[in-house]
Amino acid sequence: MNRALFRAMYKQYRKKVAAISTGIFLYQGLLTWVYPIIAKNPAVIDIAETMPSTVKTVFGVSKNARTDTFEAFISGQFYARIWVMLMALYGVQTANALLAEMVEDGSLALLLSTPVSRSEILSTQTGVLLSTNAILVAVTIVGLFIGTFCSGIEINHLNYLLLGVLGIAFFSVIELYSLFFSAWFVEEERALTYAVGLTMAFYGLDIVGGLSDKLSWLKNFSLFQCFQPQEVLEGTVNPVLTIIGLSVTSAVLWFLTQKVFEKQDLAI
Amino acid sequence: MIEVKGLTKVYRQEGRGIWNISFQVEPGTAFGFLGPNGAGKTTTIRLLMGFLKPDSGRVTIKELDCWRKKTEVKKFVSYLPGELHFIENLMGEDFLDLIAGMHGDDQRIKKNRDYLSGTLELDLKILIRKMSKGMKQKLGIIAALMLDAEVLILDEPTSGLDPLMQKVFLDLILEEKRKGKTLFMSSHQFLEIERSCEQVGIIREGKLLAIQSISQLREAEYQTFEIEVDSDEDVELLRESPLDLTPIHGKCFVVRVAGDLDNLWLALGQVRVKRFKEHFMELEEAFMDYYR
Repeated sequence: MNRALFRAMYKQYRKKVAAISTGIFLYQGLLTWVYPIIAKNPAVIDIAETMPSTVKTVFGVSKNARTDTFEAFISGQFYARIWVMLMALYGVQTANALLAEMVEDGSLALLLSTPVSRSEILSTQTGVLLSTNAILVAVTIVGLFIGTFCSGIEINHLNYLLLGVLGIAFFSVIELYSLFFSAWFVEEERALTYAVGLTMAFYGLDIVGGLSDKLSWLKNFSLFQCFQPQEVLEGTVNPVLTIIGLSVTSAVLWFLTQKVFEKQDLAI
Repeated sequence: MIEVKGLTKVYRQEGRGIWNISFQVEPGTAFGFLGPNGAGKTTTIRLLMGFLKPDSGRVTIKELDCWRKKTEVKKFVSYLPGELHFIENLMGEDFLDLIAGMHGDDQRIKKNRDYLSGTLELDLKILIRKMSKGMKQKLGIIAALMLDAEVLILDEPTSGLDPLMQKVFLDLILEEKRKGKTLFMSSHQFLEIERSCEQVGIIREGKLLAIQSISQLREAEYQTFEIEVDSDEDVELLRESPLDLTPIHGKCFVVRVAGDLDNLWLALGQVRVKRFKEHFMELEEAFMDYYR
C-alpha cells in the first residue's frame, strides 16, 4: 500500500462517499421515524401477511420470514434490495474507475512511472475501494443505531453489527470481481459491461429463484444468497461461515487480479 | 545507459507496432527519436517504461531489463507521456506531492518543484481539471524534471506549449544535460531535437530507418536554390556548368549545392537570372536524403 497514492485517491472519492453516506443516513432516519407509526397500525401487518410469496421475494423478504418485526420492515424497505443494489453499483463503478478507467484515459501512466510496483498500486487502489466500502457500511449501521435510538425502537445491536461485517465481506466480493475484470480487459467499457452483467445475473437469479418452487434451484447460483439481511438481523442465521467464505473468495480474486495486472500489456 | 536490441512489439489486432529496433544511448548524451504519427515512437517509449512486454528483443536501462525489472528501473528514470492525463480532481500541487511521495518524498524534489513552477510560470493552486492543455503540459514537465532522475524519457515534450515556453523548456533540457543527464526524447519537430540531442533516429512505419549524429548531419547538409533564367542559351550554359540541376519547368531549375557556393556564383555570372529564391532546408530533409 502506498500512502501518498492512498491519500490522493481518497481525496478523489471522499465527496462521493460523503454524498452516498448522507443519503443512506437520511433515508434510514426516515424509515426509523415512520416505523413506530406503521407498527401501531395492525392493518399494515395484515396486508404484509396476505402478500403472495412472489411479491415478498421481489421486496427481498424470504418466503417463511416474519413480517411483523422491525427487522422485516427495515430489510424489505432498505437492506434486502435498495441498499444491496446501491452498494453493488457503487462497488462496480468505483472498481472500474480505480483501474480500467485510469488505464484507458492514461492517468495510470504517471503513477506507473514511479518506483512503486504494479502490485503496490493495485493494493492501494483495492485499499481505497474496500475502505470506502467499509465506511459506507459503517455509516449505514451507525446511522441505524442512531435512528432506532431516537425513535425508541428496540434492536439486537450484535445482529446489526454482524450484518455490517457480512455486508463488507459481500460487497468486497462484488468489488473484487469488478476489479478483476478491469485488470483483465484494461478497457473501461468491457470491464464495466462484464461486472454489471455478472452482478445483474446474480441479482436476477435471486429474484427469479424466489418466484416459484420449481425455479428455486436457481438461487443456488446467485451470490445474493449469501446476503439474507432479515435472517441475520432476526438471529435465525449465523453469518460467520458465510463471512469467512466470502473473505476467502475476495482474497482469491485479489490474488488473481494481481497476477493478471502484473503481466498485462498497458497501452498507456 | 539505454540499450535496445532487436526490439519487436506488434499490436495483434491492428497489425501495427515496431520491428527489430536497435539503438544505444550513452550516459550523459541525448537521443532524439523522430517520426510521423503512428510511426512507433510511443510504442518504443512504452517498452522502455515497462508498460508493454516485448514480443522479442531486449530493452535495458542501466543494464536492468525494462520489463522484468520495471519497478527498479523507475528509481532512476523520469517520464513525460505524450498524452497527459491526470487525476483531475486534484490541484497541481497535490498531484506533484503525490508523485514526490511515490518517489520517496525527498526535500530536494520539493525544492526543484518550486524552482520549475517559477520558471514555467505555473500556478500550482489550480485544480487540474480547470487547467488548459498548455498548463497541463507544464505540470507534466515539472513532474518529470523535479525528480532529478539520471534518465529522462520525454514523449513529445513541447506539444501544447507556446513558442516562448518551448524555448524555456529547451533551456531547461540543456540545463539537465549540463548536469550529465541521459535523455531520450521523441518529437515531430526536428528543430528541438537538433538543438538538444547528439544523436537522432528516424522511425517510420515501425522500422528504424537510420541513426545518425547531428554533427555528421550538419556536414552532409546542403543548400538548395530555385533559379529561373531568361533564355534557352542561358539554360544551355547552366547545363554545361558543374551544378547539380533539377528542372522544374521551362527555364526554371532547382540547384543543390553542398559546401561552398563558388561554383554557383561562377555559373550565375554567365547568365541572366530572372528569379532567384533560396530554399531553407531543415536538417531533417538532409537526414532523409542522406539515406534515400
